Amino acid sequence: MAQAYFFFWRLVLLTCLLSPLTASAGIIVNPDVEGHSISITSLRNIYTLRQTLWPNHQPIVVFVLPDDHPAHVAFAKEKLGLYPYRLRQTWDRMSFSGMASAPIQVKDENEMRARVRATPGAIGYTSKDMVYDGIKTLRLE
Amino acid sequence: MTASRRLGWNSLLLGSLLAVSPVRADELAGPRYQIQGFAAQGLIGSTNNRFFGDSRNGVSTEFTEAGLHGTWQALDAVRLSGQILYRRAGESDRDGLRVDYAQADWQFYQTDVSQLGLKFGKVKLPYGLYNETRDVPFTRSGILLPQSVYVDNSRDLLLAAPGAFLHGASVQEYGAFDFLLGWVRPNFDSPSVDYSFLGNTRPGKLEGKGALGARLRWDLPTDTTLMLTYANARAEYAPGSSDTLAAGKVQFRNILFTAQQRLDTVTLTAEYGEPRFDTAGFGPFLPNSHRVIQAGYLQGEWRFLPAWELMLRHDVFYRDKHDKDGRLFAAATGLPAHSMFARDTTLGLRWDTTPNLMLRAEFHHVDGTGWLPGPDNPVFLSREQRWNMWLLQAAYRF
Repeated sequence: MAQAYFFFWRLVLLTCLLSPLTASAGIIVNPDVEGHSISITSLRNIYTLRQTLWPNHQPIVVFVLPDDHPAHVAFAKEKLGLYPYRLRQTWDRMSFSGMASAPIQVKDENEMRARVRATPGAIGYTSKDMVYDGIKTLRLE
Repeated sequence: MTASRRLGWNSLLLGSLLAVSPVRADELAGPRYQIQGFAAQGLIGSTNNRFFGDSRNGVSTEFTEAGLHGTWQALDAVRLSGQILYRRAGESDRDGLRVDYAQADWQFYQTDVSQLGLKFGKVKLPYGLYNETRDVPFTRSGILLPQSVYVDNSRDLLLAAPGAFLHGASVQEYGAFDFLLGWVRPNFDSPSVDYSFLGNTRPGKLEGKGALGARLRWDLPTDTTLMLTYANARAEYAPGSSDTLAAGKVQFRNILFTAQQRLDTVTLTAEYGEPRFDTAGFGPFLPNSHRVIQAGYLQGEWRFLPAWELMLRHDVFYRDKHDKDGRLFAAATGLPAHSMFARDTTLGLRWDTTPNLMLRAEFHHVDGTGWLPGPDNPVFLSREQRWNMWLLQAAYRF
């Protein structure tokens, strides 16, 4: 069973890596977010709802793809080092107890880019580490 | 400032204090409100004893949970949130629709690594890992939570209560810290609380006098969570007409320890506490008592496939640490000794069929009736020591 499990994840990751359009998942933010890079710790704190403000005190608006979207699975596992189900557990615990708002879920990568472009303080991710008009890409340190 | 005007009497206070807050009021973007909800239906079958309805002679369908949760970011530093809950659990919970909680959270200090806030209203009580979201099926480790620690018998006491909590969180190199410290007026007035504290439903009324609650949580970089919860609650009894009990007092104190380790797809959890429970002044029919309860469980969860999880748990509950097998209790009262303990071994399976639908199956083998719901099993002498129970649950979320 465990082997089947890891096989599944590898398949997902492999699919992402082999797809001609994908390099590695890119972290995107609204252009008004300061800086050009983000630490892994900070990214994890943002996606586990522990960090809710950018260093200049601007509120962070977090966007995510559906739990079973391949780009979400890859982002969670590769960038955050967390399985999607653990992220969901954290969001449920924080949101249903009234301690934080769950990230805003978008249906696909097009919507992700559109929302991040239009929302001050927004952060999101795409499967392609590319440059898009009106969106800033952050380097992961 | 239209939002703060709607807050009525709070607006002046909030407005003046927000002025000193480091959060800038014009920078919040994105939706200011969020609505989510769930609905779940369970099926229960059991041998020898009943659980949430007549599960012994047939299949009980009397375990239903549904909730609607809303959050509104009224101001950058003020979040209003609440939940409406429908719950039916056999004879133990027939209250139907209710306001689960309704709170305002004012985050008066925020930086990128720390927060300090005050939440008030009818607030969720921090108690161990699961209590604040105990009615949201997706957040539990099983269809039922470990009954030793999260006794459904006295759930009304633990749920939510009018009061206020100061809370804070900080992210450091050596992990993330959270704390909650507050005062509430808990709800002791329910038949199942009467059962667990006074041995039966009583004509009078137990009134919560005030409770102190605190929780410290430390999430280490090693994927470990350590937690300490402290609770100290008092209640006074107002006798009813032709009541055999006098105006007594009860007190409940507990320190609950929590440890969780997450290893790749495996989650190991343990929680343990020794709640102290005192009754005094109830007269000859309920002698003064001082009891130390022992409650704890060990639990393993394994996500063996992305959507499938297996859970194994051993849960123990002793109503009196100094009379674990209930022999002294049986000798003194003539009532069955097995009501003084319960050892529950649980095997559970979870399947997240789609991101919105979860199906669960669970089997319990229980030795003892220590947390058996009284209202579902009113005849004390017909309760049996050893019993099995299976549960199925379908839960939908939106």
